[in-house]
Amino acid sequence: MRTRSHSTPSHLIRAKGFLHLSAALLSVLLVVGCQVGSTTTPSPAATAPQTPTVTETPTSAPTPTLEPTATATATATPHYPLTLTDDEGTTITLPDEPDAVVSLTPATTELLFALGAGDKLVGRTDFDDYPPEVVEVPAVASFSGVLIEQVVDLEPDLVIAGGNNFTPAGDVDRLRDLGLPVLVVYAPDMAGVLADVLLVGQAVGAESEAESVVGELQARIDEVSAAVAVLERPRVFYEIGYEPEIYGPAPESFVADMVNLAGGEPITTTDPAVFSISLERLVDLNPEVIVLGDAAYGVCPTNVVIRPGWTQIAAVSDGNVRPVDDIIVTRPGPRIGEGLAALALAIHPEANVEPVADAVELCPELGSV
Amino acid sequence: MSAGVAASRSAVARPARLEGLRHRPLALGVVGLGLVGVVFVAGIALGNVAIAPADTLAILARRLLGWPLEVTWPASAETIVLELRLPRVVMAMIVGVGLSLAGATFQGLLRNPLADPYVLGTASGAALGAAIALLLPVHVALLGFGLLHLFAFVGALAAVAVVYRLSRLGALNSLTSVLLTGYAVGSLLAAGLAMTMYLSGSNLRQIFFYLLGSFSLASWPQVVVGVPIIVLGSMVIVSRARSLNGLLLGEETAAHLGLDVRRERLLLLGAASLVTAAAVAMSGLIGFVGLVVPHLVRLVVGPNARLLLPLSAIYGAAFLALADLAARIPGELPVGVVTAVVGAPFFLYLLRRYRAGYEL
Repeated sequence: MRTRSHSTPSHLIRAKGFLHLSAALLSVLLVVGCQVGSTTTPSPAATAPQTPTVTETPTSAPTPTLEPTATATATATPHYPLTLTDDEGTTITLPDEPDAVVSLTPATTELLFALGAGDKLVGRTDFDDYPPEVVEVPAVASFSGVLIEQVVDLEPDLVIAGGNNFTPAGDVDRLRDLGLPVLVVYAPDMAGVLADVLLVGQAVGAESEAESVVGELQARIDEVSAAVAVLERPRVFYEIGYEPEIYGPAPESFVADMVNLAGGEPITTTDPAVFSISLERLVDLNPEVIVLGDAAYGVCPTNVVIRPGWTQIAAVSDGNVRPVDDIIVTRPGPRIGEGLAALALAIHPEANVEPVADAVELCPELGSV
Repeated sequence: MSAGVAASRSAVARPARLEGLRHRPLALGVVGLGLVGVVFVAGIALGNVAIAPADTLAILARRLLGWPLEVTWPASAETIVLELRLPRVVMAMIVGVGLSLAGATFQGLLRNPLADPYVLGTASGAALGAAIALLLPVHVALLGFGLLHLFAFVGALAAVAVVYRLSRLGALNSLTSVLLTGYAVGSLLAAGLAMTMYLSGSNLRQIFFYLLGSFSLASWPQVVVGVPIIVLGSMVIVSRARSLNGLLLGEETAAHLGLDVRRERLLLLGAASLVTAAAVAMSGLIGFVGLVVPHLVRLVVGPNARLLLPLSAIYGAAFLALADLAARIPGELPVGVVTAVVGAPFFLYLLRRYRAGYEL
């Protein structure tokens, strides 16, 4: 009487299809996840209106400060209540100088320590790894999002989140609904990083420290600019990942800007929303230098030479494939000046640039290319 | 009719304890409600931040019952209990009710044991809607609602409407056609979803987590909007239990029994789709609950919809709130993963145990 299923097992078919889709998606996510410590992802399609960062804060940044350790002349204490506009155009008001700060990006966590406000940090993300003492602070966010209960439990009086969905937009909204002041920072380029240093410095009452950090960064940028200005500008492919597709910087992305500043012509994907590049396109554009941003994840020049189809690329045949510490190049924090120097040296080993202090050892078997 | 069904199946061997419950659905309901109560309390008392049980109780007593207790706890504890955990437990339970009822309805309506709330393209429609909302360069957030919720809700309903129109559900004996149309439309929408995801850039992660389902952002405004929709749809479904029983006999038999087949089917389908759309818009795609809870209940009480529907609602609420609790204590796991990991082995165990006789 009651019919057994006489229809097609559509569910089984669909389940299979879904799994397939999920598997493909997961692999993409893994790649994205690998770089989650960095804001390499550009996106014109970001949910938030992208108010240009630079206009938000005084653009004293690009003016070269010649003394690297510019001592703060004006120690004017910031006046609270303080009203700030973040990088997404949201206005927040801080009644007092914050003394419990939750930082939801590795870059702002580093920045707080660089500003001498590391003792104010009460919560961080899973991928914060610098400075080393940061591990003592509880992690309240991971790749999957913010643990809102834990953030509330810490009773922060400032939350600094990452824009462009680095911190999921839904989590930012939820935190704001709960009455927490959330400052969203997002630097689309180097100028944006300098502006964010000042913005965060203002928020935590460390304006003069922020100015000196900007001064040091500006000095390093100027040093690199001067060193690469006299050199040729090779076509550079900055490899973000190799499997399952070749991932590289999108046009107008942060990494593309860094390559430009480091004295190279960046080879990019076809569109700001596309992160993978076909081998065809790569061979056609024929990079003269390949910088391995994925070196920290085990990809070395020796792996590149044996890739099928890559031997015709000038960088590979001429032995100009070099690793770089992706974290300092792509993390828009206070070490970005060192990152720029590292990138410039990877593109131009002969450049007159001071080597990076405490550089991470990458690909020790170098030179066999 | 239900008596006949029960009689024809009494020959099937069952363990004595469950056999006892089978004839006492009221007891089963009371046990289920007790379970709901326990899970409710546990859901508020536990989380990834430890709050003393005494504080939790005091906060609830002071704020919900108005007891004049002295505040000895930090303000954050109050926020966590009242603004984070309470709406979350309520939301998980009501979504559990909705998905279980919708699953039971679709299984009966389509006479297919593999049917779940998402069988007619609801999931793909909602997912595509959500993905498109995330892709739009507009950021609207009003009291915990964004474009995502709206688009997911509309997408889910639109998908069902298209499937309904295309499959000419009004005609008799078109069940296979409905399922196949649902599958085809679902596949088309899934392709659209894949393309949207490919173009989504930094929004990919959000879409991905939407697909996994979560209650981590449940808030009171969401409860206030979502709960009435789900409750309304659920009431329609439960009130049509007799029709569902009739339809289970086949359309022609049901028509001979004097049932307005077209109207009843449309009502049940509409209510189940509405409930599913609201659930999906609030919490993303949570699988397994809608498929398995009705089956579990059916294994114990048999296919009579007048027992099946209310009991599915009760146990669905308890199951999903418990799964959410298990998902959030260690951090934030996707709740859909928990429902499958916990539910699938248990379901397999019951299936093996009852392999002698199981009918829809």
